Amino acid sequence: MSRLPSSPQLLRYRSLNVARRGPWHGSVAIARSSLRLLAGRKMFWALYAFSLLIFLLYFFGQYLQVFLEQRVSESLVRTGGVVGRTIRPDFLVKMLRDALHMDGSADTFGDFMWTEGYIVMVLLAFAGSAIIGNDFRFNSLPFYLSKPIGRRHYLAGKALAIAVLVNAMTTIPGLCLFIEYGFIDTWDYYVNSVRLLLGILAYGAALTITLTLLLLVTATWLRRTVPLIMVWTAAFVMSRLVQRWLVDGLGLSPRWRLLDIWNDMYLFGQWCFGTNHLLLRPSNQIQPEYHEATAVMIVVCLLCVLYLNRRVRAVEVVK
Amino acid sequence: MKDEPQPVLLFEQVSKWYGPVIGLNQVTLELRGGITGLVGANGSGKSTLLRLATGQLKPTLGRVTVRGVDAWEWQAKALVGYCPDNDSFYEDMPGREFVVSMARLCGFDKPEALRRTEAVLERVGMADRADRKIGGYSKGMRQRIKLAQALLNDPQLLVLDEPLSGIDPIGRQEMLELFRGLAAEGKCLLVSSHELEELEKLTDHVAILTRGRIAAVGTVSQIRDMLDDQPLSIRIDVSDPRRLAALLVNRPEVVGVEFEPKVIGNGTHGSLIVRARNPRRFFEDFGKMVVSEELDIARLEPLDDSAHAVLGYLLGGSGKT
Repeated sequence: MSRLPSSPQLLRYRSLNVARRGPWHGSVAIARSSLRLLAGRKMFWALYAFSLLIFLLYFFGQYLQVFLEQRVSESLVRTGGVVGRTIRPDFLVKMLRDALHMDGSADTFGDFMWTEGYIVMVLLAFAGSAIIGNDFRFNSLPFYLSKPIGRRHYLAGKALAIAVLVNAMTTIPGLCLFIEYGFIDTWDYYVNSVRLLLGILAYGAALTITLTLLLLVTATWLRRTVPLIMVWTAAFVMSRLVQRWLVDGLGLSPRWRLLDIWNDMYLFGQWCFGTNHLLLRPSNQIQPEYHEATAVMIVVCLLCVLYLNRRVRAVEVVK
Repeated sequence: MKDEPQPVLLFEQVSKWYGPVIGLNQVTLELRGGITGLVGANGSGKSTLLRLATGQLKPTLGRVTVRGVDAWEWQAKALVGYCPDNDSFYEDMPGREFVVSMARLCGFDKPEALRRTEAVLERVGMADRADRKIGGYSKGMRQRIKLAQALLNDPQLLVLDEPLSGIDPIGRQEMLELFRGLAAEGKCLLVSSHELEELEKLTDHVAILTRGRIAAVGTVSQIRDMLDDQPLSIRIDVSDPRRLAALLVNRPEVVGVEFEPKVIGNGTHGSLIVRARNPRRFFEDFGKMVVSEELDIARLEPLDDSAHAVLGYLLGGSGKT
């Protein structure tokens, strides 16, 4: 076919030609636009505010704990009531410490990330369809896949968006609490608690990888919000009820607790924090071994990767 | 001697299987520029061909290349712009933001992405309406936004899937002019459309797909000429239709002559519908006959020398897609 003569517009348009970056930058762009889509939803901000409240509770709780330890250690504490009585301050401090766990210990970070994880779980259930499901549901993939990226870059972009969400609500606030406690305790805290720092990072990484993969799988499979929430609830809430019924109710092996992936992540986190297995709370629940929980997490993640790999190829298969 | 540049798009014996179903069957196609229309019935393999051309699918057999690079590679995709036919996308996002996102996806940094976004929005006539959410757009506006995102990377190959559907006549004319302008800049356009009449206005170079195979490629006339066994219908307004009919029935190319029951002008002319095989030879002989017999021809019009009719012949039906 003959080439047609160029028009003056050509000169203006061609001037736009510049070097472009590789396809992995496209993943970052996908993550950015996904987060922007999510930020436009009120539900996201409501859940994020709730997560922030939990963080603030721990943030000021640590101050309060130290404040109380300093104040009540100087004299006896007299309680009110008809018959007033005195309590030894060290006993009161120990009671508060055991109840609240806001003392920069492994329990503090374990409890904080466990609690925050619940909000993350609910948020991801809502976010899954907005971030990923809608692309499949409304057939928007051609917009992405016709650009200079591949399917893996697309999935990596979506995974990055989820990872940012998870870390913004677990790992980063956890690190903030760690830094805060060093300020209100002594500088030696940072040196003596390196294991805790690594534990926060490792627990955060476990939450990020597992939740990201699980969300990618469920969102690409179900696409719509309501089924996604139902499956998500079944995976994290029902499995907990089932494992409790099997172990605590029927008296079966504690290994049945491995069904609860949330519990598995918690056990992995406690392992990373260096918590003694015998001191795990609640003390009346015998837990499976750390390495068993870790193995289950790894298997779940591998299954998710296998499914996603198959899903990526399945775009080419007519059902 | 200077080497010829690689074709913009090249399909080499490409087959695509979806499990046990074949979507495309040993297709060979070469595009070097200009506008090519892609027509075919539903299920003929148009979408598969477009998705292979834009690197969204890998061929089962054969090779698809853009300027010599596998269409699947991101370097090839960087040379391609794709305007899909689906209209459901990012309803909550303003058009401008959507185009900027797509520009970032192409690997441009923010200032460049913004610059390109404004340029393409201006080009498709959406610069003043791009801040509204896509959910509030008409179908025509959606088409323009889709086209804008396809133009972001200044593509050498622009693949357009049903780009004219849902656009009003004025907008359609503007889009046709835009496509012609893009072709004039040296871009290669592959346009899939059911709107054959509009496609004919845009280009006479078409590729006709049927049952996963390229049935014909070329200008509509070339394809029509290849269909020697399919008679061409020609209407001839002549002063003496009976005499002309008597002359024509003896010709080997003519397979039928009908009188059209209407009076032309002030009654001095009648009309004949002639069905002839091998149109080229027929017209050569007919010209000589008109001169030698001193016939008074008022009008001569091929009735089915259109993409629609050609498609109908090739598909063995009405030509409806």
